[in-house]
Amino acid sequence: MNATAYYLTTLLVYLGVDIMAVWALNLQYGIGGVYNFAFVLFQAFGAYIAAVLTLGSSSGNGGFQNYILGATLPFPLPIIAAGLASGLLAVVVGLVALRKLRTDYQAMVMLVISVIATLTVTNDTGLFNGPAGLSLIPQPLSNVVNPSSVGYQWFYVGITFVICAIVYVFVHRVTSSPLGRALRATRDNEAAAEALGKDVVRLRLFVFVFGNVIAGISGAVLVQFIGAWSPGSWMYVETLVFLTAIIVGGTGNNLGVMLGALLVPVGFNEATRYLPQIGRPGLIDALQWIVIGMLGLVFLWFWPQGIIPERRRRFAPTPPGTAPVSGSAGSGSGAPLADPTVLGEPR
Amino acid sequence: MTASIFIPSVGFGLVTASILALAAVGFTLQFGVTNILNLAYGDLMTAAAYIGYVVNRHGGSIALSLLAGAAFGALSAFLLNRLVYTPFLRRGTKLFGMVIVTLSVGVIIQNTLLAIGGATFFTYNFSVGSAVHPLGFVFNTSQLMIIGLAVAAMIVVQLLLTQTRLGKAMRATAANPGLAQASGIATDRVVDIAWLLSGLLCGLAGVVLVLNTTAFQSTTGSGFLVIIIAAAMLGGVGRATGAMVGALVLGLVTEISAAYISPSYKEIFAFGVLVIVLLVRPTGIFTGAQREVAG
Amino acid sequence: MNAGIPSKDRGFPTGEGERARVRLAVRRPSVTVRNYTNKRAGTVITALASAAVIALAGCGSSSKTAATGPDTGTGPLTFAVFNPFSGPDASFGPEQVAGCLPAAAAIQAAGGILDHKQVSCKSADTRGDPADAVPAAEQLIASTSGFMGVLGPGSDEASATVPLFDRAHIPMFGDTGQKVFDKSSFNYFYRITAPDDAVGYAMALYAHQKGYSHVAGVFGNDISSQGTAPTAAAGFRHLGGTIVTQSIPLDQSSYRTEIEQVIGSHPQAIMTEADPQTSGTYMAELRQLYKVIPIIGTNGTNQPPWFKAVGGAIGQANLATYYAGAQPYAPVTGAPYQEWRKELAVVAGKVSQPVTQWEQDSYAMAAWDSINLIALAAQEAKSTNPAVFNPDIVRIAGPTPGATVVHSFAEGKQALAAGKKIQYVGAVGAITFDQYRNSPGQFEIVKSDGHTPIVTYTANQVAAAR
Repeated sequence: MNATAYYLTTLLVYLGVDIMAVWALNLQYGIGGVYNFAFVLFQAFGAYIAAVLTLGSSSGNGGFQNYILGATLPFPLPIIAAGLASGLLAVVVGLVALRKLRTDYQAMVMLVISVIATLTVTNDTGLFNGPAGLSLIPQPLSNVVNPSSVGYQWFYVGITFVICAIVYVFVHRVTSSPLGRALRATRDNEAAAEALGKDVVRLRLFVFVFGNVIAGISGAVLVQFIGAWSPGSWMYVETLVFLTAIIVGGTGNNLGVMLGALLVPVGFNEATRYLPQIGRPGLIDALQWIVIGMLGLVFLWFWPQGIIPERRRRFAPTPPGTAPVSGSAGSGSGAPLADPTVLGEPR
Repeated sequence: MTASIFIPSVGFGLVTASILALAAVGFTLQFGVTNILNLAYGDLMTAAAYIGYVVNRHGGSIALSLLAGAAFGALSAFLLNRLVYTPFLRRGTKLFGMVIVTLSVGVIIQNTLLAIGGATFFTYNFSVGSAVHPLGFVFNTSQLMIIGLAVAAMIVVQLLLTQTRLGKAMRATAANPGLAQASGIATDRVVDIAWLLSGLLCGLAGVVLVLNTTAFQSTTGSGFLVIIIAAAMLGGVGRATGAMVGALVLGLVTEISAAYISPSYKEIFAFGVLVIVLLVRPTGIFTGAQREVAG
Repeated sequence: MNAGIPSKDRGFPTGEGERARVRLAVRRPSVTVRNYTNKRAGTVITALASAAVIALAGCGSSSKTAATGPDTGTGPLTFAVFNPFSGPDASFGPEQVAGCLPAAAAIQAAGGILDHKQVSCKSADTRGDPADAVPAAEQLIASTSGFMGVLGPGSDEASATVPLFDRAHIPMFGDTGQKVFDKSSFNYFYRITAPDDAVGYAMALYAHQKGYSHVAGVFGNDISSQGTAPTAAAGFRHLGGTIVTQSIPLDQSSYRTEIEQVIGSHPQAIMTEADPQTSGTYMAELRQLYKVIPIIGTNGTNQPPWFKAVGGAIGQANLATYYAGAQPYAPVTGAPYQEWRKELAVVAGKVSQPVTQWEQDSYAMAAWDSINLIALAAQEAKSTNPAVFNPDIVRIAGPTPGATVVHSFAEGKQALAAGKKIQYVGAVGAITFDQYRNSPGQFEIVKSDGHTPIVTYTANQVAAAR
């Protein structure tokens, strides 16, 4: 059926976007220990940039939208530009937020910055058309494939997964490199990493910028698919869904968080749509949010390392590709106190 | 706009600052002592406002609503810590995991209120009283009550922290929990009291906030969370006096920038001040030893 | 920095010279996943993931009655409410449900549409956000059998999801006032609520007729309010008045400074739209700092939650005395209105309580009309396939010579069975669709009960303010 194909392809595109997002966020939080609560801001910024670079001049479409930078760049330039723009924004934000701040302060600053950004975009209607947001964003290569056909949907799924694959190569290079080890060291023990001569601020800044480039790309891929974007799409609570995905899948593990992206923002979210509608209108939707909240709590309690835990790295890195199971992190389920490296300092 | 609006806008800033101060001091005290970034704080405020509403609609006075909100806030913050946060910490959840825990708890609280109360708006049954014009300011009795309540609460908190053994113990625990415990301070009890105190202020702030906004819904409190955090950060997180000053600065900046620049940008200016301060002094205006709950 | 950091743009051709090549060859061979044994695990996961998604999508899929020709099916039919049910705009969804449930129940009681005896409503939460709304829409389309039509989308999600329903050939009655839909090319998009900009002109006209020369225009910085603000201001100036406009951030703890600015111009009245919480705060403080002045609201403020919030803030008596709101003409007397009340009473236990709040709610009434229109169009076209009955929606709304005027599905079904032509006149009055399937219709200014008319305007009169 066509309708099923549309739904399925939509989910696959969202899955691809969410996978990129959790890789990026995992790189920042799971591996680098950077608390990026403004993550959705960078996704949104990428989306906006990609949108204005495909919409053409703002006098187009009867001039009912006001925005900056109107241009009609060919695919995939808007997506690349979106990544670079988000990266640039990340440099600016990172210099404010990551500089000499304690990590929990960083989390708070990120929250503040994401709210400043939402307020600015909502109130400055000349920037990205204010609260109404941008719409009628053309889909890439729609002159090659008819954009309202199922074929185009599959074509876009293809584009999404190719971009995903490219992103994975870069993400994997970082996580499996000496740099990745340095980042993990910083995450696990900042003071020790510093004592070993690692420049903690620079490491964090790198992973922050790198992750947000990916965030921008993921936003661009999404916006080119759905054709509209507005400030409602990026309240900071949205980051909670990604964070939950990382917790569920397995913090610090690229494959784990990928599974998390499948299970939480896509799987769980979609499954709850099939719940019978009970009680007064809207009750079930409130319950859905309650369950999303519970999901994170349940995993943090019972399986704090997620479904596919991060491989424990000792001495030499394990050969790449070794399946991340069997004793390497036995604390994955049932015995969460087994791994001293994941313990904080409870008080 | 002319100077004629200056004095009134300072007055309005004071009211905004009072609400913010109650909330920010509660937030910062608890964070300073326990080191848990409680992102459910805003939603707890809303919950307290709902409790106050129930009391009010059953014929209770505003004072009784405030009392009920404060009591509910204190009790639920205490229980939240004992039943959720501390068990997670004991189980080894790290700092960042705790942030997710608190954010999830906030989402759960907010949507439980939505599920129970429905998607509608609530208003307390009360009179704001008559307008008074001291020194060119414009207040009504309800706002004077808010300012009075905030000032009284701030004085009590100050005295508690600086003049009592408990205050000393709290500051010691904040500065170095291990050392505090070694010196014979019952840090568990201190932590409990910090949550109670934080919840009390949170509950008061929730009721006062909705008295001032008049109408509220399940998302009202969480909408204020970030500016509360900003006030706490401005003064240096964990420092009660800092949060008071931070609230005052943000309250005044919001209202004065609304008067002279544009209401649309008033929050942006308030947050902008925070960013500038952080660039100059990354740990806030009142920096000393980090994490100290200072008098 | 350590070695091994990939440069950000490696593999991404960005130079001008490469642009042409990029367009042709999206996938650069140099960046395939290789040499990592992780690849295998990755493939496995991807395969698992895909399988799970397919299973997920499949379990909800069911075939739509897509057959052309005479409809002999008997399967259940579904109308969907596609609006926010959570988040700050969570009050929108239940309002549409309050219109859907009575209509669906009455249609079922009248024996259903054609041979389809079962008619029901379901709802999908858009969370007030385009990105969340898109999969919700596709899921709705894929998993709904006998999908007849949609109540929605609203302003928050319309621009992203209208094309999706249109592509699936599902008629939708949007509750968005956005100007972009004044002239849209979507064949399945209908609107019988007022466009925001026309509401602005009606407000200006009313203020002018009341003899005000100085007014304040205070609008929240949300989509709907900002759609009304420009035409309210332009219209009032066009008619020779002076207006001070203010765009205010939503849900602040106070608006006193904003109010001080506005009252410097001594406004005689205030034109306004914002969400209930914002307006409640603003009006309470306006009363305190200035006085209670006439309020001219919109169809966005002629809503039970708004009246509840602002009535609580300034007192119900003041609200009753000083409030007037512009909205599309929806008479609350007469046969269609009585029919609506009767049908609503039947499902009183199922809609959001208290049921009385919906009795004069123009959005709920418009939703009820929308369902009736779709159902009657299907009945007339003898098909529950939207692609077949879609043109009938416009036809049965418009006046046809010799047509029997009907106000409910039951009446219409009976008249059609008797071989008559029908015209549906609903709770929002006569519906006349323009070529863009908008029915702007007449406007009325109502009191704070949301229905008692103070004055009504024809579309031409409103145009005088343009």
